[in-house]
Amino acid sequence: MAKNNWSKFLFLLMLSFVLILAACSGNEGTSTEGNTSTEEGGGKEADEGTKLENGGMYSIEDFNNVKTNNGEAIEGGNITFGLVSDTVFEGTLNWNFYSGDPDAQILNWFDEGLLTWDENYVYTNDGAATYEVSEDGRTFTFKIGDNVNWHDGKPVTAEDWQFAHEVIGHPDYDGPRYNSDFTNIEGMEDYHSGKADTISGIEVIDEKTLSITYIESTPSLLTGSIWSYPLAKHIFGEMAVADISSSPEVREKPIGFGPFKVESIVPGESVTLVKNEDYWRGEPKLDGVTVKVISSSTVVQELKTGGVDLISDFPVDQFPDNAEMSNVEYLGAVDRAYTYIGFKLGTWDAENNRVSPNPDAKMGDVALRQAMWHAVDNKTVGERFYNGLRWNATTLIPPSHPEFHDENNKGREFDPEAAKKLLDDAGYEDTDGDGFRETPEGEPLEINFISMTGGDIAEPLARYYVQAWETIGLKVNLEMLEFNTFYDRVGNGGKDDPKVDVYQAAWGVGIDVDPSGLYGADALYNFARWENEENERLLKEGRSEKAFDLAYRQEIYNEWQQLMVDEVPVFPTLYRATLSPVNNRVLNFAIGDGTGVYLNELAVSEESPIKAE
Amino acid sequence: MWKLIVRRTFLTIPQIIILSVLVFILAQAMPGDALTGLIDPSIDPATIEAMRERLGLNNPWYVQYIDWIKGVAQGDFGQSFRFKMPVSELIGGRIINTLWLSLATLVLTYLIAIPLGITSGRFNDTWLDRAITGYTYVGFAAPLFIFALVMLFIFGFQLSWFPTSGSVAPGTEPGTFAYFMSKLYHLLLPALSMALITTVSTVQYLRSEIIDTKQKDFIVTARAKGASESRVYNRHVLRNSLLPIAAFFGYEITGLIGGTIFIENIFGYPGMGELFLSSISLRDYSVMTALVLLFGLAAIIGALLSDIILSLVDPRIRIK
Repeated sequence: MAKNNWSKFLFLLMLSFVLILAACSGNEGTSTEGNTSTEEGGGKEADEGTKLENGGMYSIEDFNNVKTNNGEAIEGGNITFGLVSDTVFEGTLNWNFYSGDPDAQILNWFDEGLLTWDENYVYTNDGAATYEVSEDGRTFTFKIGDNVNWHDGKPVTAEDWQFAHEVIGHPDYDGPRYNSDFTNIEGMEDYHSGKADTISGIEVIDEKTLSITYIESTPSLLTGSIWSYPLAKHIFGEMAVADISSSPEVREKPIGFGPFKVESIVPGESVTLVKNEDYWRGEPKLDGVTVKVISSSTVVQELKTGGVDLISDFPVDQFPDNAEMSNVEYLGAVDRAYTYIGFKLGTWDAENNRVSPNPDAKMGDVALRQAMWHAVDNKTVGERFYNGLRWNATTLIPPSHPEFHDENNKGREFDPEAAKKLLDDAGYEDTDGDGFRETPEGEPLEINFISMTGGDIAEPLARYYVQAWETIGLKVNLEMLEFNTFYDRVGNGGKDDPKVDVYQAAWGVGIDVDPSGLYGADALYNFARWENEENERLLKEGRSEKAFDLAYRQEIYNEWQQLMVDEVPVFPTLYRATLSPVNNRVLNFAIGDGTGVYLNELAVSEESPIKAE
Repeated sequence: MWKLIVRRTFLTIPQIIILSVLVFILAQAMPGDALTGLIDPSIDPATIEAMRERLGLNNPWYVQYIDWIKGVAQGDFGQSFRFKMPVSELIGGRIINTLWLSLATLVLTYLIAIPLGITSGRFNDTWLDRAITGYTYVGFAAPLFIFALVMLFIFGFQLSWFPTSGSVAPGTEPGTFAYFMSKLYHLLLPALSMALITTVSTVQYLRSEIIDTKQKDFIVTARAKGASESRVYNRHVLRNSLLPIAAFFGYEITGLIGGTIFIENIFGYPGMGELFLSSISLRDYSVMTALVLLFGLAAIIGALLSDIILSLVDPRIRIK
């Protein structure tokens, strides 16, 4: 009998182990599947571990951003575009209202801005509208092409463009677009607060001509600060502004003037588009495009089997294992983003809406910050963790902006000896013999470092930094946090957690190079809470009228990059590559900006996608 | 009978209220909100703050709860921040997919379980039985999401017998026969993957129930009366063994809804489970709380259903 009980007990014990195991694996499932692909969330980080195979090293310089054309284009044809996302698209299919990247990926196929830009992100006169700037640089006159028509045949007019501004500036507007680009328009604030019925700075001259007067003239206007997406007034004009974003005209039968027209939408999973024969650049070569959502865990299989021809976003960590895929060509470009490490130097003053630096901050000593930069070897990090597809960053303007990225500025190179010397000279010495340095006042120094979870690389990477700082004698405590918690504590809502000293995060940068939204004294996203007179001066100069002169602007931003290398309120760690595999049958395709390749020229050389051997 | 149903229904009301409060407090305790993800230098922080104020996210939780419950009482679950459409409409669009998937899974589960369970119970301790129980142990051990990934890889990608994502082929006209067939085709693989795993417990129940029943006195009596072996099994053993299975039906439904969360994510099948996970990670509170409430409701109703079926088939356990 006793034996029987014992075996029962053993059985129960085993059963409970099984349950615990099942519970654990269940959790794992949710966390990997539930990742969103927000830039800052690091959701794109590796799923498979990192392995450094012999010669498994890549460089962005080996990739082209324009597809090589093999074979002759056939008449018509259809392609499938894989929208890589672990969450479905929201379906707010209008440039004036969308907020998620998946929606933007769909919008690109059937609607576009009236202005196009070149590889330096400066507006050109090749787009659906052309522009002229007045003498004082404040008034822009736009002329929309005569052959630019909405999908329903009605012309795109100046009133549509004005209407887009009126909707975004309306107090009931529920999208995220209203920002300083709009408040910089004359009369916008009066309109927004209800004091005026119209925006005084926007004037419709004739059916196809519009002029907009801005309060301040800045070179940023030419690089993305003009709102160039019209809103069809003949469709939305009668609707209440608050109802537009949920209306069927946005969600079910969206309209645009791009190369393709939306034929049908299966909410959250796919969109079928057919060519717009009346497209202003000329009739598209393809008959149609199907956009379907695919999960990041099945991307490679979909590509190999020809399930998709193009995809929106390739998980770069899967590249080394699939570099030899025979049916695709990989296009590559430098991502407009960088990873960085920031130092908390103050708090946010919510009343005055500006940073409030704390002169006694733990990280307040510039030598300490400089030493921490010298201590980390980001070249090796890029090679070991990312097979060279991320690489050592030198300044806070990434090479995706070739005009302004200062190639001669080497940042602070990996040099632990220099780091130790900096600390010694500044008085950070190990006085109690525990192997870690104390502050110049003899207090123990413990630095709290936070970093985001997401992917398999996140934690080893953060641990590497802790170790690197340990070798120069700094005691750093690491805490890994989930995306939302991380930004809560860094101070996304203006309530900074005083226990955070150092943090690792990433920024995607806009097409305009002006960094004042991230490092100005009045920027909430200046998470370092750093203020510096010279910095304010340079940021202001970079936006001034004088900066319309390219050479002058370059000089200003070179100075700014050097200032950030000297002061180190934050330091960049890695630049990144984006890769885009394209099926071999696809012709006339390019990624990146200002390539002069447009979607109406997209064609295929075979009826169906080529499969991998 | 009716007394029992009414009494059990009354019991569920406080359960649902407690559930809704719990859900709400837990959602509030999560760091970040729907607007935290909008960290983008081109979006003005003041705009975000204004949106937060308009959505009432700055109010204390009980104010938000009362606002919310007022709406829920009128069938209004609020507005999804992310999708910018009413939550009820959003869930309405998804619930159909999940219902179809659950239904297909349920049918497949019983289609697999009943023959296997009967065979295994009737011929217990033969090689056939060992093979079947062997399969059930593997089924118990295999995590659903791994198994589903393997199925997707083999039948979706390697053999390309089934579509690999979505619930319907792009561009199919709703309402046509082709649309219906396409829907069916798309849910076959996910339903089969899930059924193959969830069926194992039912197989085991049925097996042990049959082994138990076939040694009962009334079976011996039936045999003594000269009933043929097939009549003994089909009329006497099976009927008596199916009772607990029938009673289990309600719980099965609850389990299925939980299971579809993984399956829908793996197969890119836009149902409620997929919506649930993405609304958690993006902090779309209104959707999330509505869904938890719905899942909770399904669990409570499932238990209620089980109790009712049980009392129907087994009068001994009716509550007095």
